Amino acid sequence: MNARTIRFHLNGEPVQVDVKPHESLVEVLTQHFNLKGARESCGQGLCGCCTVEVDSKVVSGCLQLATFVDNCQVRTVEGLGERNDLHPVQQAFIDAGAFQCGFCTPGFILMTVRLLEENPDPSDDEIRHYLSGNLCRCSAYPEIVDAVKLAALRLSGQTRPDPSRLELR
Amino acid sequence: MTDIASNGGNIGRPVNRLESRDKVTGRAEYVHHLQLPRMLHGKILRSNRPHARIVRVDTSTAAALDGVYRVVTIEDIRTVIPHPYYGPAFHDQPILADGKVRFSGEPVAVVLAADKHVAEQALNLINVEYEDIPAVFDEVEAMTSPVLVHDELKPAATFADLKHLKGCRDTNIALDYHLRRGDVESGFRASSRVFEHEFRVQTVMHATMEPMVSVADVVDGRVTLHTASQGPSFVRIEIARLLGWPENRVRVKVPYVGGGFGGKLYIKLEALVTALSLLVERPVKVSLTMEEQFFAITRHACTMRIKSGISEDGRILARHCEVIWNGGAYADIGPRVTQKAGFTAAGAYDIDNVAIESYAVYTNKPPAGALRGFGAPQTAWAYERHTDMIADELGMDKLEFRRKNLLSRERPQASGTLMRDAAVAEALDAVADQLNWSSPFDKGSGTIRRGRGIAVGLKGITSPTTSVAIVNLSADGSCFLSVGTVDMGQGSDTVMAQIAAEVLGLKAEDIRVIHSDTDVTPYDMGTLGSRSTFHMGTAVRLAAEDARRKIDALRVELGLDTHAGSTVPELLRTKYGMQAGNIIGTGSFIPDYRKPDSETGQSDKATPFWGVGATGAEVEIDTETGWVTVTKVVNVIDAGTALNPKLVKQQISGSAIMQLGFTLTENMVFQDGQLTNGSLADYKIPNILDMPRDWICEWVDAKQADGPFGAKGAGEFSSIALSPAIGNAVADALGIRVVDLPITPESIYVALQGMPVSSNGGQKS
Amino acid sequence: MIPFELVEPRSLEEAFLQLDQGDPAIRPIGGGTALMLMMKAQFFQPVRLVSLRWLGGSFRALSVEGDVFRIGAMTTFSELAQSADVARRLPAVVRAMPALANVRVRNVATVGGNLAHADPHLDLPPIWMALDAEVLIMGSKGHRTCRVADLFTGYYETVLADGELIAELRVPLRPSWRTTYVKVTTRALHDWPALGLALSLNLQGGKIGDARLVLSGALEKATRLTETEAVLEGSAVDEALLRLAGDAATAEAALESDNRGSADYKSHLLRVHLARAICFLTSNYHD
Repeated sequence: MNARTIRFHLNGEPVQVDVKPHESLVEVLTQHFNLKGARESCGQGLCGCCTVEVDSKVVSGCLQLATFVDNCQVRTVEGLGERNDLHPVQQAFIDAGAFQCGFCTPGFILMTVRLLEENPDPSDDEIRHYLSGNLCRCSAYPEIVDAVKLAALRLSGQTRPDPSRLELR
Repeated sequence: MTDIASNGGNIGRPVNRLESRDKVTGRAEYVHHLQLPRMLHGKILRSNRPHARIVRVDTSTAAALDGVYRVVTIEDIRTVIPHPYYGPAFHDQPILADGKVRFSGEPVAVVLAADKHVAEQALNLINVEYEDIPAVFDEVEAMTSPVLVHDELKPAATFADLKHLKGCRDTNIALDYHLRRGDVESGFRASSRVFEHEFRVQTVMHATMEPMVSVADVVDGRVTLHTASQGPSFVRIEIARLLGWPENRVRVKVPYVGGGFGGKLYIKLEALVTALSLLVERPVKVSLTMEEQFFAITRHACTMRIKSGISEDGRILARHCEVIWNGGAYADIGPRVTQKAGFTAAGAYDIDNVAIESYAVYTNKPPAGALRGFGAPQTAWAYERHTDMIADELGMDKLEFRRKNLLSRERPQASGTLMRDAAVAEALDAVADQLNWSSPFDKGSGTIRRGRGIAVGLKGITSPTTSVAIVNLSADGSCFLSVGTVDMGQGSDTVMAQIAAEVLGLKAEDIRVIHSDTDVTPYDMGTLGSRSTFHMGTAVRLAAEDARRKIDALRVELGLDTHAGSTVPELLRTKYGMQAGNIIGTGSFIPDYRKPDSETGQSDKATPFWGVGATGAEVEIDTETGWVTVTKVVNVIDAGTALNPKLVKQQISGSAIMQLGFTLTENMVFQDGQLTNGSLADYKIPNILDMPRDWICEWVDAKQADGPFGAKGAGEFSSIALSPAIGNAVADALGIRVVDLPITPESIYVALQGMPVSSNGGQKS
Repeated sequence: MIPFELVEPRSLEEAFLQLDQGDPAIRPIGGGTALMLMMKAQFFQPVRLVSLRWLGGSFRALSVEGDVFRIGAMTTFSELAQSADVARRLPAVVRAMPALANVRVRNVATVGGNLAHADPHLDLPPIWMALDAEVLIMGSKGHRTCRVADLFTGYYETVLADGELIAELRVPLRPSWRTTYVKVTTRALHDWPALGLALSLNLQGGKIGDARLVLSGALEKATRLTETEAVLEGSAVDEALLRLAGDAATAEAALESDNRGSADYKSHLLRVHLARAICFLTSNYHD
C-alpha cells in the first residue's frame, strides 16, 4: 500500500529508502539499514530500548512512523564516536559498569548524550527524571547514574578522573 | 585442589566486561536481530479461555490471506514430531494446544509469513470454537479441587526422583516434597508458646528487555537453532529427543542474551520453531512481544503456612512449614523449585524438629518456572515475617531473636547438610551495623511514619549438575575458552576468562570466550541458580590446569627442561616446524551430592554450597495515602571470594532492585483466569526513580573453600531477604499486619483502617 | 500492524478533502504516539491516516495575544515545557511535565492530539479544563469554538465530527488565579494515574473566590466537580472546609474500581489530595 521514497540523513550520511506507511522507524533502521542498536522491546514507548534521535530530539522508534523522518537528521547509537574512538558517554558507561545484558544500553546512551547536550551539568534529580522513561531489567540504575555524572565531568573538559577512584555507589 | 596461588593479577580485579565495546556501540549480537535468507516469521494465536476443549479450529480464511505461507496447528506438528510433548520434569506441555487449552494465553495455532505484519493480520482470521470447562486458579483450592488440569501425570526421564509419579491420576499435585527432622509434635508440646501464620506471594514475571525469541533452520536432516536460551545443552538434548535424532544433528547457538533471570530455560520456543521449520523446510523465527512473555513463563505464586514452637527463653524448638506452589498449567521446572525451595523453607535457623511439606500444584494459569531465587524469596517472605511477628509477641529485639536461633558454622541445616562456608551471622551483623540497629530510630510523627526491618535467608543450589570447559591455545599462544555458560548480563564471559587467565598466566582481557554453539562448546547443565561461578568456574580452572599439564608434557616430549621458559608458540613451532597446532585442555566438574531421602529429605550433601543473603531496610510511610517510600536498603551477601568485585556488586544490586519490584509494584492480576494487566504500561517494573535514596550493596569477607579461588556465586542471593526486610520495616512503622505480597499503598490503607486510633499510629515501641 | 494509507496534506483545504469522507477509518495523526499504541493493540485499524505535520498557522501558534494564550494543536509537550512564556503564565502546566509520560513521548506528542484522544487518564486535559480553556475546531464547513470542559463525551469520545480538527487551544490568562495538578499514582511512582486532580482558584480577601475543580483518571471522562466547586467558593480555608470539600467531592464523583485502586480507596485519595491541593494553593504557594 502506497510505499514512498523518503530521503534523510542517517548518522550524517544522506540516504534514501522506500517505506510503507505502517513501517516504524525501528523496523526500517533494522531491516533496511542493518542498524541493530535501536530495539523494540515493550512496544509501547515506555522502555526506551528503541530510542532514536530525530532532528536533535529523542523519540521512541517503535512508535514513530518511518515516513515522518523524511528530510530529517537521524542519529542512532551507531552514529556516536569515531571509527575506533568511543563517544565519552559510551566510555563512561563502560568505566562505570553501567550495563549488564546490554539490551537497553544504546537507548540509555543516546538519552544521556542528548541530556548532556541540553544540560551539561545535570543534578541527580534531573538525571533520574530524564531517564525515567528508560527501563533496565538487569537494574543497572545506580551505575547508570554514575556513568552520566562521569560523562558530564569528562565532557565539561575537566581533568579526566581515574574511574577506579571515583566514588561509585 | 584449589590452591593455585592467585597472584596472576586476575582474581579480585574489577575487569571491565570483555564485551563492553560491543554493548555500548549496539553491535552486540542478539537473536532478536537475526535474519536468515528465506526466513518466515511465526505469529502465535493464543487461547482466550482458561480451560476449554477445542472443538474446532478453522484456519482456512487466514491461510487464504495474501502473503500467508501456512497456518499450523497441533495436527500438522504431529506429522513431524509424533509425540509433541516436552518439559524438564514432566512431558506435559504440548508444542501447540492439543484438544484442550489449559490457560488463557496458551498457543493454539501459528501463522507463517515472510512479513510479520501479514502474519499478525492473519491471526484475526482464525476461528476457534471452544467448549468451556470449569477451571481452578487458586493453589490452595487446586490441592483438593475436583477440577483437574491434567488427566494423568507424565514425568520426564530427566529426573529419576519423579519416576514414581508416572500414571498418577485424579490430582493437581504434580509433586509433593517432604522433610522430617526430629519430631515436631513433641517439639510443639515442649514449647511454651506456639505461633502459626499464613503468608501469600503473588504471581510475577521476568520481563526481560529482549523478549523471548528462537529461530530454527532445518536443512538436510540437521537443525540449527538460534535461540535466546540460558541452557543450550538442555535444548539440544530435548530437541534431539523430540525428533528422535542423535544430538550431533541438532545444533544450538546462543549469542548474547538480553536478560534471562531464569525465564529463558529448558524449552520455551525451541520445540515450536523446530517443528515449524521441519514442516516448511525454511528457517522460521518466532519472536514474542513483551505482552506475550506473560504467557510464556512466570514466577510461582505461593501460599505458605508456618508454625513454630518457642521455648521459654526464645529458642525455636519446632517448626512446621506447608508450602503450596501455584505451578500454572504446565509444570516446567516447578517440581524442582518445590524441592529446592522446600528444603530451606524453615529458614536459616537451628531447629531440632522440622517438618516441611512442599507441593507443586497445577492450576489454569500461565506456567510458572524458574525466576531468580528459585522459590527462596517466597519462602523467606514467610519465615522472616513470621520471625518478626514472633519477636514482636515475645517482646524480644528482632536482631537478638535471630542471633539466638541462627544456624552457626558446622551445625546441620534442616536437611542435615552442615553449614559450611555460609556466612549467615556475618551477613546479618553487617546489615545490622549499616542500619545502626543498636541506636534508637526515629519513627516519625504526624502523618509520616518510619520503620526499619532486617531479614536473613538462605538457599540451596540445584544439584548435582555438570559443567565442562575447553581451553584452546593457538599456535601463537592466544587463548580461546569454550564454555556453555551463557552471558546474559551477569558477566560470565569475563569471570570465566579471569579464572582461565589466572591459571595460565595470561590477562583476562586477552582471552577470547566462545559463545554457546553446541557443535563446538561442551556440555553445561545451564546458566541458572547462581551455579556458574562455582561449577563452570571449577571446570574452567580444571581445563586450564589440564592445558598447563599438556604444556609441561610437550616440553618433556620435546626433550626440553620443564622449568625452562619456552612459550607455547615456541613449543608448537618446535613440534610442528611452523606456526601450527593447538594445545587443548579440558575440565569437567560435578560436585558431591547425596540424594535426600524421599521420606525425610535428609542428606549430608544436599547442596554443594549455600547461598546466603541478608537485607536491612528503612521505610517512610505517608499514612494518609499508604504510600511507602523505601529510603534505605542494605544488601549483604556471602559470595565467597569476589573474583570480580565490580561484577559481584552489580549482581547484588540488580538482583535486589528486581526483588524490590516483586515486593512493591509488580503483580500479575487475574480475573477469572484472564490476565488484566499484561503489558509494561500496567505491570510496573522498577525504573530509575524507584531507587531508594541510600542503596548499599556489600559482600562479607568469606571464602568458599572448594570454589574456584574461593568463590561461589552471586546472582540471586540479595533477592532472598529483600521482601521481608521491607515488610518488617513497614510493620515496624505502623504496627499493622503485613502478610501478603505485594505491599501496596491500598493494602496499607486497608490495614490502617482496621487499626485502633492511637497517637503513635498503633505501633509498638 | 495492519497496513494503511498515509497522506500528508500541505494545506488545511487539502487536509479537509482527505478527512471529510464520512469514514471513521480515516483519521488525523499528530505526533502519533497514542494512535500508534491503539493500532498496535488493534483497538483501531485505520484505512487512511492524514498527517497534520505540514499544517501551519493556528496549528503552530504559541503566543500570548492580549489575555489569551494561544497554543497550536501541533505544539509538542516539549515545546510547552521549554517555553518561557508557558513557564511564566501557565506554571501548573510546566510543573506537570516531568511526570507526564517520558521525554521521548513529550518530544512528539501534540496538545491537539492529546485532546482529541480523549483518554480520561491523560494529564493535560484536566488542567486545560480547570483553566477554562477552549479549543478552536476547524472543519470543511467552517470553524467553531468549544470549551475543553465540553469537549469529551466519553471514553475516547469527543464532540468532534468526522473531518473536524482541533486547530488551537486558547487559554484565558488569569494572573490572580493559582492552579495545581496532582497526578495520583497508586502502583508505582511513574504510572498511569489512579486519579488526577486539577484545581484552579483565586483568593478574595483571604477566602476562596472562584474555583475550578476537575477530576480525571477515575471516571469515563475528565469531569468538573461543580457541586464541590460551589462548596469551595466563598469559603475560608480551615479544617471544616477541607472536610466539607472532601465530602462533596466523594459524593459527586462516581469513582470506578480498577487495577489502580478500588472505588473506596480512590475516594479516600480524592479526599486527601483535594485537601492537600487546597492547602498548597492557599497557604505558601509560590509561582
